[in-house]
Amino acid sequence: MVTFTMLDWFWLILFMLLMVGCGVLFYRLGKRSESDFFLAGRGLPWWLPASSVYATHTATDTPMWVTGVIYRYGLSGLWYTFFPAWCAISAFVSTRIFRRSVAYTQAEWNILRFGGLGAEMLRGWIAGWQVFMNMFILGWVGMAMGKICELAFGWPVWIGLIAFSSICAIYVLAAGYWGVVMADFQQGIIALAVIIMVSVWGIIAAGGPGAIVTRLGDMGESWRLNPFAFSGWFDGDFPAAWFVTMLFIAVLGGFGMGTSIDWYPEAQRIQSNKTVRDASYSIWWGSLLVLARNSIWAVAILGFYVLFPNIQETSDYELGWFRIAFEYLPSGMVGFFFAAIIAIHLSTVSTHLNLGAVYATRDLFKHYFKPEATEKQVIWFGRLATFVLLIGSFFYGLMMEEITSWLIFALWLMAAGVWLPNILQVIWWRFNAWGYLASWITNLGMSWLVVWILPSFGILPELQDYQQFWLLMLLGALVYIPVTLLTKPEKMDHLVKYYAMSRPIGWWGPVRREAERLGLLIKVEEAK
Amino acid sequence: MRFFKRNWTAAEADEWTREDALAIVLSPIAYVLIMIGTALSFLLLWPGFVLLGIGIIATIIMHWVIDPKLKAISDEFESKQKDYILDLERNMRWEETDE
Repeated sequence: MVTFTMLDWFWLILFMLLMVGCGVLFYRLGKRSESDFFLAGRGLPWWLPASSVYATHTATDTPMWVTGVIYRYGLSGLWYTFFPAWCAISAFVSTRIFRRSVAYTQAEWNILRFGGLGAEMLRGWIAGWQVFMNMFILGWVGMAMGKICELAFGWPVWIGLIAFSSICAIYVLAAGYWGVVMADFQQGIIALAVIIMVSVWGIIAAGGPGAIVTRLGDMGESWRLNPFAFSGWFDGDFPAAWFVTMLFIAVLGGFGMGTSIDWYPEAQRIQSNKTVRDASYSIWWGSLLVLARNSIWAVAILGFYVLFPNIQETSDYELGWFRIAFEYLPSGMVGFFFAAIIAIHLSTVSTHLNLGAVYATRDLFKHYFKPEATEKQVIWFGRLATFVLLIGSFFYGLMMEEITSWLIFALWLMAAGVWLPNILQVIWWRFNAWGYLASWITNLGMSWLVVWILPSFGILPELQDYQQFWLLMLLGALVYIPVTLLTKPEKMDHLVKYYAMSRPIGWWGPVRREAERLGLLIKVEEAK
Repeated sequence: MRFFKRNWTAAEADEWTREDALAIVLSPIAYVLIMIGTALSFLLLWPGFVLLGIGIIATIIMHWVIDPKLKAISDEFESKQKDYILDLERNMRWEETDE
């Protein structure tokens, strides 16, 4: 249990006032228009969304997750945290294409890329899925906060779950995305400063960098310093085949949209940048900061391992970084550390409150129910949706223990069978809405079969997650590629319009030739 | 003629070129080098400083190559963005898009 001094309370209250102050300060900007409430008027310089990318990717459970894999696998565990690398290619490919589409959301992008009934079905599906996912993530991180408060102060879990998300909702309800991004900027700075401070503190507590290296050698654990220490090519619980699959998914995923669950919040950040160039840099630098941050964390966790090498229970060693802070920081700094945990928490909560609201408002309410809604009505519905997401997340959080395994499975659905279609929709003109819909439906069925049903009947052996990925990708392709080729392509005039606006990469030859024939593109030779 | 273009017309910048290919290749390499380099540098291991240094150089080269093109794309696109947004709002009536 942690006891706060006056200085600790000072840091905590000061930070809370700063956050809520954001809502008051940016209230007028947030209510100017729908574009302001959900995209800060599409006018931000790259470093503001970049700080938001960083802050959003630092959730309450991130320190536990990073600590867990580094404690178990040493520096090679860094590859578990390498998934934001989709931004490496995305920054110069899918980010550019999405920013040029001017779509508010990925669901809206679907009606620009595809046409007719199939596109409308896709928009409805993606929007509904995202409202659900954002509510789920809010419940998930809220519950993590509840557990941290229980660990630190002995509070019942529901207090941590409800209290801080409710404070966050004040500035999100008032100022929309303006409040989110401005608070994220502060939260990003505070969180990064504290992560570096606590990590350096942990490294010093373990005797310094040299002592960590020496002691790992003395313990016969020098392999923990090798980022490529795998358990074999295909054997063990951390094979190189997993590493290759991860690199494949993470890096090449940048050619597509939606290949990572993080794409959806980042799509909002991409669109809030004032130019295409700003969008590229915000995604690139924000993600680089996440990866560098993970590396600093990793060294502190190696220090924690040197100090406490024999912890067996995952739930115990996952709290290692928090233990460094609570047990080694001087009195008066613990409050600053706790304020940083709240910063980390609020940045994630604010993002998902506003993101869930934009899907509910823009893609469901305005698109299907009230297209003639005024800006004022849209903003008020956005606030109502934010409030409903908040309340819904409390219920999710409280029943999280029972549904966690199911929901992890639901997250897995996002990745495997639709990974390639998420790329094909960007790079191949012939891929159509029916093929994409087929991939989602197929993935839903196949993933149940491959992950649970067939292994339980002994028809298929228990596969490692990377093997499941390849199998689901192959099985899905056997369905959605024939569906695509057996159904009509999207109408050429629709594709030409999309091409002229977004200039996508890949196989778009027939569409390009039609656009040139219609005089919609300036040929390079003519421009000279 | 330079291998990498530094001055772009709007039409040229809209094409996917070798500058994009270089950014696509260098960018993930820079991420890997900086991630591993940072971790090993914090442990004061010399390979860490070398990897981090190469990662920073890769980042600088990537930006030097792609930045003029991104500027040209942005300038050209900003002039059209207003019309695209108006068009997007017209799409809000989903009956109209169901051709």
